[in-house]
Amino acid sequence: MDDTPNAHELFLFLASTAHDMKNSISVLSGTLERLLVDASPKTESAYPQMAHMLYQTKRLNDNLMQLLALYKQVGKPEYPFDVQPLELGQLVDQVVSIERVLLQSRGIQLELDCDRQLIWHFDEDLVVGVLSHAINNAIHYTCDRVRLAIREDGGWLELRVEDNGPGYPPALLRAGEIATRETAGGVNFLTNSAGLGLYFSSEVAKMHRHRGQHGTLRLENGGKYGGGCFILRLP
Amino acid sequence: MSATTQAVATPLLSVTPASIDQVDWADKHYLVVDDFVGVRQLLRESLRSLGAKNIDQASSGGEAMALLARIRYDVVLCDYNLGDGKNGQQVLEEARVRNLVNPSTVWLMVSAEKSVESVMGAAEHQPDAYLIKPITEGVLLTRLNRVWHKKQVFRMIDQACAEKDYLRAARLCDDQIAVDKVHELELLRMKARLMEKSGQPTRAREVYERVLEQREYQWARAGLAKIRLANGEFEQARQAFQGVIAENRYYIEAYDQLALSYQNMGKFEEAGAILERAAKLSPNSVMRQRSLGNLALKLGNMPMAEKAFRKCIAIGEYSIMKTPDAYLGLARVYGQKNDPKEALRLLLVAQREFAHDHPDIQLRTKITEGLVYHESGDYRRARKAGDDLEAMLKATLERPDVPTCLELATLLFAVGVKEAAIELLRYVIRNNHDNPLLLDEVQQIFDKARMPEEGMAMIRASKKEAADLMNQGVLLWKTGKLGEAVAWMRDARKAVPNNQRILFNAAQIMVSCLQQQGYDAVLAAEAYEILHHVDHLLPGQQRFAQLMEQLAQLQPAADGGGTGAGAGVPAVA
Repeated sequence: MDDTPNAHELFLFLASTAHDMKNSISVLSGTLERLLVDASPKTESAYPQMAHMLYQTKRLNDNLMQLLALYKQVGKPEYPFDVQPLELGQLVDQVVSIERVLLQSRGIQLELDCDRQLIWHFDEDLVVGVLSHAINNAIHYTCDRVRLAIREDGGWLELRVEDNGPGYPPALLRAGEIATRETAGGVNFLTNSAGLGLYFSSEVAKMHRHRGQHGTLRLENGGKYGGGCFILRLP
Repeated sequence: MSATTQAVATPLLSVTPASIDQVDWADKHYLVVDDFVGVRQLLRESLRSLGAKNIDQASSGGEAMALLARIRYDVVLCDYNLGDGKNGQQVLEEARVRNLVNPSTVWLMVSAEKSVESVMGAAEHQPDAYLIKPITEGVLLTRLNRVWHKKQVFRMIDQACAEKDYLRAARLCDDQIAVDKVHELELLRMKARLMEKSGQPTRAREVYERVLEQREYQWARAGLAKIRLANGEFEQARQAFQGVIAENRYYIEAYDQLALSYQNMGKFEEAGAILERAAKLSPNSVMRQRSLGNLALKLGNMPMAEKAFRKCIAIGEYSIMKTPDAYLGLARVYGQKNDPKEALRLLLVAQREFAHDHPDIQLRTKITEGLVYHESGDYRRARKAGDDLEAMLKATLERPDVPTCLELATLLFAVGVKEAAIELLRYVIRNNHDNPLLLDEVQQIFDKARMPEEGMAMIRASKKEAADLMNQGVLLWKTGKLGEAVAWMRDARKAVPNNQRILFNAAQIMVSCLQQQGYDAVLAAEAYEILHHVDHLLPGQQRFAQLMEQLAQLQPAADGGGTGAGAGVPAVA
């Protein structure tokens, strides 16, 4: 990054603008969630539209969060990466609470499968962000079910977000392959909006290192329900 | 490993952490601080859905301080970015320093994105948790419960720390580590700090190494490096801190320590460059800007010194951490720029701003005044300042800290007020007779004043005086004359109030008196007073921790009774 005073001024300006946008989105999604909790499809004719608004607001928030993080260069030492030990129960509770209203408003069931007491070391904010982004995505592709399964597997923590939809389209699987490739150079592979989320998630995976190994991200079709599977593995 | 499957059909408020005993969040008193009304309303709604009824709001740091001064809150939700005036961190610092929050108060710092400060423990006062917007009810509840639970785990340990019984606190950590997997790392980190505070770096090192066997945590690496630094292994410390920074560029504390390593190796240019980088990454620390300013002053880099001191004053405006040093340093810069008028103006400001909290501000501004005049070549006014200082020293028995004393003595010699300078250095030696590095420094001041022989003789005589004073007390104690020994040490303490060795021995003799002749609250209080005084002079000494523990165990109300054994022998010089 440039160290000239101008670049610094610009950075401060961008940071404060981003701060403002975050506030607006907070209020927007918070208000929508509250309205949806108080309403039901029977009492409120605009219920489906409100649910869709919430979905879009979440996407907006995810994208902004990811852009901000990438602007700070996630994966480079510039991002204040913060690994702490955490019980998986705490991780899952937060992801569930973030997705609760959206899932409910779309009539989608979330299935959890994890050992709540298991402790792992990771950057909580980043992993919560990746998982809730993956669930938002799954909500888009699924039929009526999303499954969050976390387990230890040979010294790795495997976090899976699966759905019972028709599976990811080939283009997205390809984008996933490119985004998660070892040597993804630059951001020029971003041919669709899913690219940002994938790129961000795979950067988050790579930041988690332990004893010479780093996390990975994989997209595939299959899993318990034969739909899309988003698989994050952390060492 | 049992995997629990749980289908959440329509997960309503079913975010119930199964294992944690439930806290009643409805009863608590909340304060919400954010400059954006929409966010305040949203947070209030979230808290209401937890059942909360008592929720106060503030839209600025100033408003928050006014409320905190009146009301003891159970939970504070504070945005980091509060527009003009104090930021969230400064509100937290002031609330803690002014004791406006209880140890049990949960303080959650809210921000739009992850900040450096949130990760690297850059600040001395940390909130209990950081939350990133947007905040949902579930996340809020999860974090509240987690912090509350952690505070329960650490309650007794924090209590022991507050009483400065570090060894008891460390034992409590051990007990907890054995049964608490969730908090294991934080307990280990705490234990390592306690071992450092009680002057046992070897045991601290064992703890850090145990952590690193599990995971590569940079705080543990930095901990090991700090022990090397304290051991005088400056080159190894430098390499270790640089390793930490290479792993995590935002580990700000490592920069401060790296700069210190360089300074100890006499590489001031390098130290300055490192502090400058750190100040760029995390510019809002009063302390770091002050160190940078002082170092730049030492290097003769006036533009850098001026910039750092100005920044230090600017951030200090809204901060409880503000320091007169920035004004004094900036005055020196103006002295060098041959603008004594502006320097004096700054000194007046410092006198006005800090009269209340810094009783030595008159003396310190006068010293700076003398330096400014001396450096700008106005020898007549410099001498006048020297005479004023001599009068000030005569008027009181109080003496400033050692670095200030040395600076003052140097100035007094330079302007020709020799008697007062020698007297001041005599005080320094008598109170630090067993510190060879300091004795060297004093000798150098005499050498510079072209009085090497007088210096050497004075140092030798003062050293002997203090040693005799101490040995006589120890002798009385060893020959069983406990009452006389206590009385002797009491007098010795009057003669040399800041001699750590004598203070420790005085406390030791009192402890052994309490052990042999039964508990006496008055004598115990006196021993505590002495120990707190030594700890103030130089924190982190092993004898402090040991004597504090022995004293606490003597307390009759305490369970288990005293140890009987373990009363160390006062050391002879």
